[in-house]
Amino acid sequence: MERKSDHTASDQLAPPCTSGTEDLGSSRRQFLGRLAALSAGFSLVNPTARAATESTTDPSGKMQDTPEQAGLVDVRLQVNGHPHRLRIDPRVTLLDALRERCNLPGTKKGCDQGACGACTVLLDGTRVVSCLTLAIMAQGKKITTIEGLAQGEQLHPVQAAFVACDGFQCGYCTPGQIMSAVGCISEGHTKSEAEIREFMSGNICRCGAYPNIVDAIKVAAAQAKEVAAQ
Amino acid sequence: MKAFVYRPVQSTQEATTAGSQSAFIAGGTNLVDLMKIDVMTPSELVDINQLPLKGVTLNTEELRIGALERMAQVAERPEVVQEFPVISQALLKSASAQLRNMASIGGNLMQRTRCGYFRDVETPCNKRNPGSGCPAFEGENRMHAILGVSDACCATHPSDLAVALVALDATITLQGPNGTRSAKLDDFYLLPGNTPDREHDIQPGELITEVKVPRQPWYRRSVYLKIRDRESYEFALCSAAVALQLDGQIVRDARVAAGGVGTKPWRLPDVAEALIGKQVSKSAFETAAEQAAAGAKPLKQNAFKVTLLKRTIARALIQAGGIA
Amino acid sequence: MNPTTPFSGQTVDRVDGKLKVTGRALYAADHPVENLCHGYLIQSSIPRGTIAAMDVTEAQASPGVLAIFTPFNPLKLYTPLGQGEGAISGDFIPLLQNPEVHYFGQTIGLVVAESFEQARDAAALVKVNYQAQPAVIDVDAGLGQAYPPKSVNDLSATVSVFADGVSSIDAALGEAEVSVSGTYSNPIEHHNPMEPHATTAVWSENRLTIYDATQWVQGQQRNLAAVLDVDEADVRVICPFVGGAFGCKGSMWMHSPLTAAAARVLNRPVKTVLTRGQMFTAVGHRPIVRQTVTLGANRDGTLTAVKHEAVSSTSRVKLFVESAAHRTSLALYKAPNILVSHRVVPLDIAPGTFMRAPGVAPGMFALESAMDELAVKLGIDPVELRLRNYATVDPNKKLPWSSKHLDECYRVGAERFGWSDRHAEPATARDGDWLVGTGMATALYPAHRSKAEAKIRLQADGTASISSATHDLGTGMYTVLAIVASQSLGIPVDRIRPVLGDSALPLSPVAGGSQSTASVGPAVLSAAESAKKKLIAAAIAGQRSPLSGMKGDQVSFENGELRAGSKSIPFEQVLAALGRASIDGSGTASAGEEEHQYAFLSFGAQFCEVRVNEWTGEARVSRFTSVMDIGTVVSSKTARSQVIGGIVFGIGMGLLEATQMDPRSGWIANRNIAEYLVPTNADVPKIEVELLNFPDTVFNPLGARGIGEIGIAGVPSAIANAIFNATGKRVRDLPIRPESLLTEPGHPNLA
Repeated sequence: MERKSDHTASDQLAPPCTSGTEDLGSSRRQFLGRLAALSAGFSLVNPTARAATESTTDPSGKMQDTPEQAGLVDVRLQVNGHPHRLRIDPRVTLLDALRERCNLPGTKKGCDQGACGACTVLLDGTRVVSCLTLAIMAQGKKITTIEGLAQGEQLHPVQAAFVACDGFQCGYCTPGQIMSAVGCISEGHTKSEAEIREFMSGNICRCGAYPNIVDAIKVAAAQAKEVAAQ
Repeated sequence: MKAFVYRPVQSTQEATTAGSQSAFIAGGTNLVDLMKIDVMTPSELVDINQLPLKGVTLNTEELRIGALERMAQVAERPEVVQEFPVISQALLKSASAQLRNMASIGGNLMQRTRCGYFRDVETPCNKRNPGSGCPAFEGENRMHAILGVSDACCATHPSDLAVALVALDATITLQGPNGTRSAKLDDFYLLPGNTPDREHDIQPGELITEVKVPRQPWYRRSVYLKIRDRESYEFALCSAAVALQLDGQIVRDARVAAGGVGTKPWRLPDVAEALIGKQVSKSAFETAAEQAAAGAKPLKQNAFKVTLLKRTIARALIQAGGIA
Repeated sequence: MNPTTPFSGQTVDRVDGKLKVTGRALYAADHPVENLCHGYLIQSSIPRGTIAAMDVTEAQASPGVLAIFTPFNPLKLYTPLGQGEGAISGDFIPLLQNPEVHYFGQTIGLVVAESFEQARDAAALVKVNYQAQPAVIDVDAGLGQAYPPKSVNDLSATVSVFADGVSSIDAALGEAEVSVSGTYSNPIEHHNPMEPHATTAVWSENRLTIYDATQWVQGQQRNLAAVLDVDEADVRVICPFVGGAFGCKGSMWMHSPLTAAAARVLNRPVKTVLTRGQMFTAVGHRPIVRQTVTLGANRDGTLTAVKHEAVSSTSRVKLFVESAAHRTSLALYKAPNILVSHRVVPLDIAPGTFMRAPGVAPGMFALESAMDELAVKLGIDPVELRLRNYATVDPNKKLPWSSKHLDECYRVGAERFGWSDRHAEPATARDGDWLVGTGMATALYPAHRSKAEAKIRLQADGTASISSATHDLGTGMYTVLAIVASQSLGIPVDRIRPVLGDSALPLSPVAGGSQSTASVGPAVLSAAESAKKKLIAAAIAGQRSPLSGMKGDQVSFENGELRAGSKSIPFEQVLAALGRASIDGSGTASAGEEEHQYAFLSFGAQFCEVRVNEWTGEARVSRFTSVMDIGTVVSSKTARSQVIGGIVFGIGMGLLEATQMDPRSGWIANRNIAEYLVPTNADVPKIEVELLNFPDTVFNPLGARGIGEIGIAGVPSAIANAIFNATGKRVRDLPIRPESLLTEPGHPNLA
């Protein structure tokens, strides 16, 4: 099924990306410009006063928080083999950096509290939850997301096994399940169904696709073993 | 989340200059979560991941675990699996594979309670906001403690690892601005008393650098049993860490501690004492386990933990005794 | 497809699978939008009262904040549409229009900032000063105010069926040779789909495009238009992928129009994603239900009377009825005397809503537990007891069923599960210190269908697109409709391009009530016939067509080809010859007279094995067999997954799920997914699913009934019954956790 709204391989869409906040000046200016046009009855918080006290005007007339005022820092991430340069607040998690700043929305936010696994990515090949990882602390590591798993149109064996075994329904936890499964297989925690279940329990699937996920991991792990044996 | 300054450090000395408004961050699995909900509001995050606090070593005397070792790594170290199964099992029963890959040993020992009132800044909490009161006593307290409860606080200590470690009389090494010291882990955790905000015997700038566990050959006969509503990825309703020294069918020595029931990881020396000299049997273990809940102060929703605690200890002893 | 030949399903991989496994399926919060800013809700921390003041000074001064909307600085929102107006509203009134607080966690503000972090962290700085009023949170405290709602499942609050000469249900029960009675309960449960509700609103020249997490783009479209005071034609709701819903995305909740209104005022796209915690009060829940079931029977097990009384919680400000008794005891057993009743207890809590198998999931827990109690009391096998009370007509409406093979479900299920090997005597099977028990229960769920439309476009590249404004919630609807189109056009599934989840597409009902396959599937059949006819007509009329000038009855469309005599031409060649890019066919389908002549239900049987640790009382499901009679199985792979998913949901309901609400304040202790426990992978055993394939062509030409909800039905009772069999302990309150099983007789034998 092709959909026009689907973006193509995200990495191609993602030049070293900039943060939303970097554009803040121009957007605020647009916003201020529109204030007058707002209908009566909608009072807004006094943005003019705020802008005056907290922003500076650069020579072009653009109003902008200084990086120091906004507390922004430079962060360089290596995602799926591509470099991303961000200028962000240190509060930004790796999850939000990927989704909101790197144009890689494949990694999902399910709970934002490390309790569901939907945001699982690989850091230097190890599965972690990106919602509890600060982006600034992921610098210097190889980050792999769901978008970086397939080779072009050729699915990674784990992805293919998930399709074949129907290891998902709504698909929302699926990127996390798959990244976690890749980690689980490389950790060697696939020696029995019971072991797969336990070591995949950090990924909640509310649709309840678990038995099929276990099947998919068995299939993919067996393939990985074959490949390793060759 | 409150704004903070991020400061990666390269040396332990550099780290220990951190002030009272600073927080050390390693895995961040507990801290970042609590920062998002404004329960912890450090103005500075000191990233200690580059410090040389790694390594697991075993000699004839003790097991030493660097504070920056990750839970997953320690759980699978052969020397831990073989010589201290209770530690490996406690780690593997903690959190999820992803979180265990991230979380450090030191951070695990410093994790905060899961009490829902503690985690919601809009409710009173004596631990978070001293003197504001505790809604848990008359409110939602199914998951709360029955041991070590004071009038001010009944929040449970959440760590599994700490339960195994206090059972085995582990010590920790702390490095601070005034040098290095050692503390028994059991003493490091404070009872809530009137100051539930003081959870640890620790000073600003002090950092856990290492965990040491005395080695006893009989620790190979040890078990961590964790009871929870669901099979995985949940904090304990009740857990037991036990080790048994057997001489034939006679118990020569024992170590027993419980989790999920105490305001701190709860050693049970009386249960251990009661086991010494006893014949290995279900009834002996069950009789000894009867003492586990001595002094328990059950609340409305968690009274079942009194029975559950005794049963958990008994079941763990039976497992460790090899008579399951 | 010839409409007279029965439709047959297929076993194919999910057609949207590749998008989902590569991270390219776009959910509501994933759509790339230029110049986006971020909304963050503020919720009340008291259950009832008035907001005296909100101090936003510090919040508005924090970096990046664009606006803070509150009851004192509101966005104008109008009243949402009511029942029967083509939409479902979750909230009672437009929020922020006054300073009143009706429940804990009510939305009282929206902060909009340049970044998500800035919005979140500014929201935490808003200080709210309340004038609190007393609130009733606890069901026991509210029971005095309980009342029978005007309508329960489109019936009266009390419905009775009596045999001739019977004056009351109690009289009938008094005559019974044996009776059992029990009170069963479930706590508040939350849907917790993995995808949080999210809204991205983009205005362009007074037209709204909104990416929203919803089960009903067109209902949302109508409701947003009403609440925002814009023309329906100026609202487009897009939701191609839904990250799970289970009912909580069936209604419009106020964060959607709030976000859209903020975007309109700010003249910038705004995205609001609910936090997991906010979802516990902003998007509904399954109410608390307490049910008393009393069964009267003869000694041979024949039911003589069924009395099923339900009480459910409701928000005081938005009535929702979890009709547990009406949807189950009026439909399942052939009892000559039946009485069902319902009352609601108004509480100062957030609105409830439909949650997977509303009414049925709790109702079947009570009824099927009671049947097990009766079986135990009479010493009759639970399957046999059900067969002895097998209904061949709807016990209330007295109508025949369109298709019913429940007896086959029992038979196949018992055989597959090995039911005959069970220990009927409780607490007699063990494996080490695990007590092992088996239990079973019936499953049922009403079969619904609503009017739907679909469009098929035969395209010159040899593909066919099909479209309708329905959804794939994980239900497999993309695949189901692709299969329907594939079968009806006679071309492979991989040449079908389904397009769903856009309000601009042909009419579709809410993707809820297990009705989508039965509603939209027939519309696709009809659209296919229309497309074929139009193609044939064009092929005959077209001068450059190879079939030019032939008569209509000489040409047929089969297997993707136009056939006439010895000629057989693929449709894409016909289109090419005609110089056409495509030909469209539209179809509409809805129920006919049969609606009043039959009763429509899906059926099933659930069998499980549970282990309970005799020391520590935790129960674990170790084996599960489910047999479902759901009409034609259109897509066997996704249908099987739906049933598995329902069972997993039922394991949660049976053993884990409970929203823990402080009765003083409505504050929720576990409003996160670490402590609101849903099953993990380790909680779920192998699940065997058998789908009977008896086409129900009375119901619709496809012969398919829904399958999204029936999977959960009966599961909590099968588990409870198995726990009784394992331990001898009957637990009537969900969830069944260690504290329910610690006391007896799990106490170990002393060695």
